[in-house]
Amino acid sequence: MPRVKIIAKNFMDMVASLPAIKLDMLYRNQFICEAILRSLPPLAKKYVLQMLYIDAPITCKSLQEWVLADGFSKHNVAIDRLVQLRVFEVTDRKKETTYKLNPTFQTSLRKHLIHGGILPREPMSPNVIAKLPTSEELDAYALEQWECFLLQLISSGQAEKSSSFGSSMMRIFQRGLLRQREKEAPRLTDCGFQFLLMDTNAQLWHVIREYISNSEEQGVDQADLIAFLLELSFHTTSEAYNLDTLTDDQTAMIKDLADLGLVKLQKGSKESWFIPTKLATNLSVSLADTTSRKQGFVVVETNFRIYAYSSSKLHCEILRLFSRVEYQLPNLIVGAITKESLYNAFDNGITAEQIVTFLQQNAHPRVAEKVPSVPENVSDQIRLWESDLKRVEMTPAHFYDEFHSRDVFEAASDFARIHSDLLWEDAKKMHMVVRAEINTLMLEHLHGKNR
Amino acid sequence: MVSKPVSGFCPFQQIGFYDCRFIMVNATKGLFISCDIPMAQFIVNMNAALPASQKFIIHVLDNTHFFVQPDVAGMIRSAISEFRDQNSYEKPT
Repeated sequence: MPRVKIIAKNFMDMVASLPAIKLDMLYRNQFICEAILRSLPPLAKKYVLQMLYIDAPITCKSLQEWVLADGFSKHNVAIDRLVQLRVFEVTDRKKETTYKLNPTFQTSLRKHLIHGGILPREPMSPNVIAKLPTSEELDAYALEQWECFLLQLISSGQAEKSSSFGSSMMRIFQRGLLRQREKEAPRLTDCGFQFLLMDTNAQLWHVIREYISNSEEQGVDQADLIAFLLELSFHTTSEAYNLDTLTDDQTAMIKDLADLGLVKLQKGSKESWFIPTKLATNLSVSLADTTSRKQGFVVVETNFRIYAYSSSKLHCEILRLFSRVEYQLPNLIVGAITKESLYNAFDNGITAEQIVTFLQQNAHPRVAEKVPSVPENVSDQIRLWESDLKRVEMTPAHFYDEFHSRDVFEAASDFARIHSDLLWEDAKKMHMVVRAEINTLMLEHLHGKNR
Repeated sequence: MVSKPVSGFCPFQQIGFYDCRFIMVNATKGLFISCDIPMAQFIVNMNAALPASQKFIIHVLDNTHFFVQPDVAGMIRSAISEFRDQNSYEKPT
């Protein structure tokens, strides 16, 4: 899913924008080096691994010899990325530029390769912990927390239990996703709908990016947070780790992460611990852009009815955005796509393409093998209804007639055509219509032609 | 030959005559409408039903394009959506 890569890359851009000293400190941590390696484009990965045991700088020209002629654009992209992340150090001598691997990065990655990753904390022994949740329980917990958070994000007031995120934090997450008109409940924008359509991992990265960009104002160091997050993604799922091993900042962050469903906090008689869930460990995997399809649940029939085999409130809310939900059973949501429900969606800025893509991506396995997974009459009708709203186009314009001679008319129409502002012309009657923006220019042009 | 701009005023919102002995162009400000043929007929019909002081079509360019007065955009859009809603039926929930 290329989308995850774009969102994760945004996170990496944020990492790259940290000052050089902080980045160097980050590179002392082996796990961060591995995470950065995962996020690089394939050619960049190859270069890093090749240069790992080379101590002398390599000239730009010899680096170019590693690539065939038609790979130059990828080569340049890779080099740019590496320089941006300060993984490559550039020295410009008089004759040519040379590249060398960042020494901190190099030592950390070498250690990591030889010794394997050793986490700064050990999982706790089973005799201290009363009972660990099973992996299914953990997955269910993570899913529940994440859905609760999403529900709260898109429509406050629908979630049963509200998370401990302050309302100002929620507003920051909602920025760009919801639009609030006066006296109305906040409604989802089309960016918000796009957000809902994304993979869970992409959504997570987006939320975390907002969270980290905000933490600066709270006084917490960005680099520390990023380091902790990337470290967390390398822990083992379903193993408990003692909360005492965390610093104060990290403890504060852990509480927020528990609300998102990345970790589960538990208390024993003497100690308390946290357990990373699949959401956390998948964070680093998703950097390398492996596609993970979650199972679809929507069946769309040719009579415009939707059957969604899901009991999730979030799915119900999403379907309510563009269809009329008629019945809700314990494991099934029945709805119908109607013209009115679609007009509502179009009012909110959701496009027909997004709706059709959503239905196709979340198609139930039974219908997913059929081509097309959404019946053509439904997808065509959705697009037709959208175009029905755009039947008439209106443009502010100016109408010119009574041209003295054909030459003047031709000159004027060429002038307008060059600026792509000519809307209509009739050569026989010598009338033309141009966009309003060009009117003053046109009149000056005609005026100037006279001299 | 020096050209003198001479301003003239006419009731149809013209910018003005530029009388230059060699070039004289009449410029009218308004709104350019482009649509399909049924909608065009609808607009013509709407125009015909209005009293003479409120008629908004300045020129009928061809059977899918019009040039109308600039402030009628909202009125046309609301008339079209009313017309569209007349054809809708919503099942009562």
